Amino acid sequence: MSDVQTSGELELQAEVERLRARVAALEAELVEVQERANASVAEWQERAYWLDRWHLDLNALMRRPGAAELRAAVRVVRDVVRAFRRAKRSLSRS
Amino acid sequence: MSSVCAVIPVKDGERYLDELLDALVREGVDEILVIDSGSRDRSREIARAHGVEMIEIDPRKFAHGRTRNLGAERTSGELICFLTQDATPCPGWLDAYREAFALAERVGAAYGPHLPRLDSSPMIARELTEFFAGFETHRPPGGDGARGPTLQRAGDPSFLSNVNACYARACWQEIRFRDVGYSEDQAFGADMLAVGWVKVYHPGAAVLHAHDYGAIEFMRRYFDEYRGLRETTVHVEAFGVRDTARHVLREVAADRRWMAERGLDRTTRARWSARAASHHAGRRVFSALGSRSQRMPAPLLRGLSLEKRAQSPSAAALNGKHAGAESVEPALADTASPVAPARPIGQKLSGEVYDVIAQVWREGAAPLLQPVPGMSERERLRLAMVIPPFNRGSGGHNTLFQIFTRLEQRGHACSVWMADYHGYARSVWPATLRREIQEYFAPLQGPVYKGFADWQGADVAIATGWQTVHAMLQLDHCRARAYVVNDHEPEFYAASTEHELAADTYRYDLHCIAASPWLRDQLSERYGASAEAFQLGVDHDTYHPRPVAREPATVIYYARYATPRRAVPIGLMALAELKRRRPDVRVVLFGTNEVLDASFPYEHIDVLSPTQLSWLYSEATVGLCLSLTNFSLMPKEMLACGLPCVELAGISAESIFGSDGPLELAPLDPNRIADAMQRLLEDREAWQRRSREGVDFVASHTWDHATDEVEAGLRHALREREREGVTIG
Repeated sequence: MSDVQTSGELELQAEVERLRARVAALEAELVEVQERANASVAEWQERAYWLDRWHLDLNALMRRPGAAELRAAVRVVRDVVRAFRRAKRSLSRS
Repeated sequence: MSSVCAVIPVKDGERYLDELLDALVREGVDEILVIDSGSRDRSREIARAHGVEMIEIDPRKFAHGRTRNLGAERTSGELICFLTQDATPCPGWLDAYREAFALAERVGAAYGPHLPRLDSSPMIARELTEFFAGFETHRPPGGDGARGPTLQRAGDPSFLSNVNACYARACWQEIRFRDVGYSEDQAFGADMLAVGWVKVYHPGAAVLHAHDYGAIEFMRRYFDEYRGLRETTVHVEAFGVRDTARHVLREVAADRRWMAERGLDRTTRARWSARAASHHAGRRVFSALGSRSQRMPAPLLRGLSLEKRAQSPSAAALNGKHAGAESVEPALADTASPVAPARPIGQKLSGEVYDVIAQVWREGAAPLLQPVPGMSERERLRLAMVIPPFNRGSGGHNTLFQIFTRLEQRGHACSVWMADYHGYARSVWPATLRREIQEYFAPLQGPVYKGFADWQGADVAIATGWQTVHAMLQLDHCRARAYVVNDHEPEFYAASTEHELAADTYRYDLHCIAASPWLRDQLSERYGASAEAFQLGVDHDTYHPRPVAREPATVIYYARYATPRRAVPIGLMALAELKRRRPDVRVVLFGTNEVLDASFPYEHIDVLSPTQLSWLYSEATVGLCLSLTNFSLMPKEMLACGLPCVELAGISAESIFGSDGPLELAPLDPNRIADAMQRLLEDREAWQRRSREGVDFVASHTWDHATDEVEAGLRHALREREREGVTIG
């Protein structure tokens, strides 16, 4: 009876230890994830410094009326410039 | 069935008064009261011929709200209908009102549409029709397809019009019309909804109504209307040339469509189009002028106002301009309040400044996460520090970031969160805040957040000033909370809300990590808080004796007048006394951009960088730095540069330096402070001893050591949670 009890206690103890180790691993993982998240946000804040400094929210800006049209117009101009350069290159080659 | 009375204010209203009174009799109104304010036409005769009750008032005492209150007082019906003299009820009008009041509990008022008369201009006809159509709702499916009444509660449009409205007497008695020149009905609508009454728009309660004004009169009426709206609802009509042009084009096009749909011929349409253009343009201009009439001179106001009002009735009552008029009626004299009407103020903030505190008091702190065994001993912790807004040179923030960046360097996952009740940092976005922290204080690597929308939880949430504690208490997913206390902040304020709120922060069982033994004792003895102390560090890379000769007899004084706890008037008195005794002493005031008035000549230096300060401390002979609360960094930094310093005795300095340590202590007495400075200036041996002992004493006071102590405090907070809580495993 005593042997059975001792063996049960030992098993329980081992299970507790296993769970403790698992909790510790999860805790460490949580810190790791938090640190990565912090680093990502900090990196983004480093990059966005001048946008924040000048209060520029590009998403809001591009939602304003005319922004999409302006972007389309820039694209058209870009295509024209590229076409012109291509034509110039091909002419200079020939 | 409820008894119904009708009140009609009249002035020169003969044109429609006869048919109006006939319609009221036809509808079955029990009691009709006409209030005449000086008609010169047949209005009074018509009223008498119909046998209705009539009272006459001095036209100078007429005001839309005041006069209607008088009418309600002089009648007794349970439902009080207000009509204007040119509004004729259509058949079914009264039945519709009765139906409206039966629709729900607490219906306080009802109103119906104004239908254009046959000779109304197309602009007015369209405007009335489209405007009231906006309030209509469809009857439920299976009904007869006609449009039905609409219940309007708080949050719905507050529109109400005394051209054609009906009030429950109980509601009128509770709210009453404001004593305003115009828009008393709009004000009533807003007031009644705000206190829980309901109103009803009923399309069946219609009147024929038209304003018979010429073009100029229309404009002047709009001027009055928007002036009234400004007085009652603080509405200001926007105005811009391009907007107005667009508005006029849009409205004229709509008028032309309206006329075409009703079969008007081309010539008539063209004629009315020209009139419509001037009507809509003039309306915009005069509405905008009416909204901005407060600063106009009285003669101009009279000229622009259709009612020739130079000031609001309440203002007239206040200055007594009409109070002495011989023809004042007793009833009116009773109703003309000498109190100016309360000015409604729109919502400016999303919540009260300290709303978060009220929430904590109401709901308590957010529950903490269950503790995990061994969490206080884990090598790396998730730490979130909540800070108040800061300025360059803030000593408290410097302490926080010196420590926090070192915790970061030790591998803890650290983030910074700003609580900004007052919006001091409203215009600074998070990435800018982060850069400012790096530039002003220390090289923070982690992210900086404003507000808590992105809150992610933490092992320890750390409050760092009284303004941050209540916000921090609301944060969830925390294992423990701690409070880094830089000073006894209630003493920053006189008897005030802030004083009480700051004291309140020490009563939430937060483990306090105090910036001196004196402060620790204050927290535990006065508030029963769990507290331990840390020693402020010194940046010895910056603050050390510089290779420069000390100037003879130079006293430097940290004269930050804007910080009352610095006792600057006492310091100036002490320096004045010293200058009286030793006119040769050079006095330099620093640490503030404000040039102070003093009774002695001195030199002024603005706020300096840490490196500049270290040179200043290395050149001077004596430093003076007073604090009425907790000891600050500055004396330690002076000592680190070999500069003996005078501080106040009997407050906090002894808890760090002892009573005869490296600091020269003096009681809060200008003469005794002057004695201490004079001693250091004249006793070479004493100066050398203080200088040497100071450098030695602060050598061990480093930010790394301070970080050790604070980290121990944070782990203590976690350990306490482990002890008190249910554990896993």
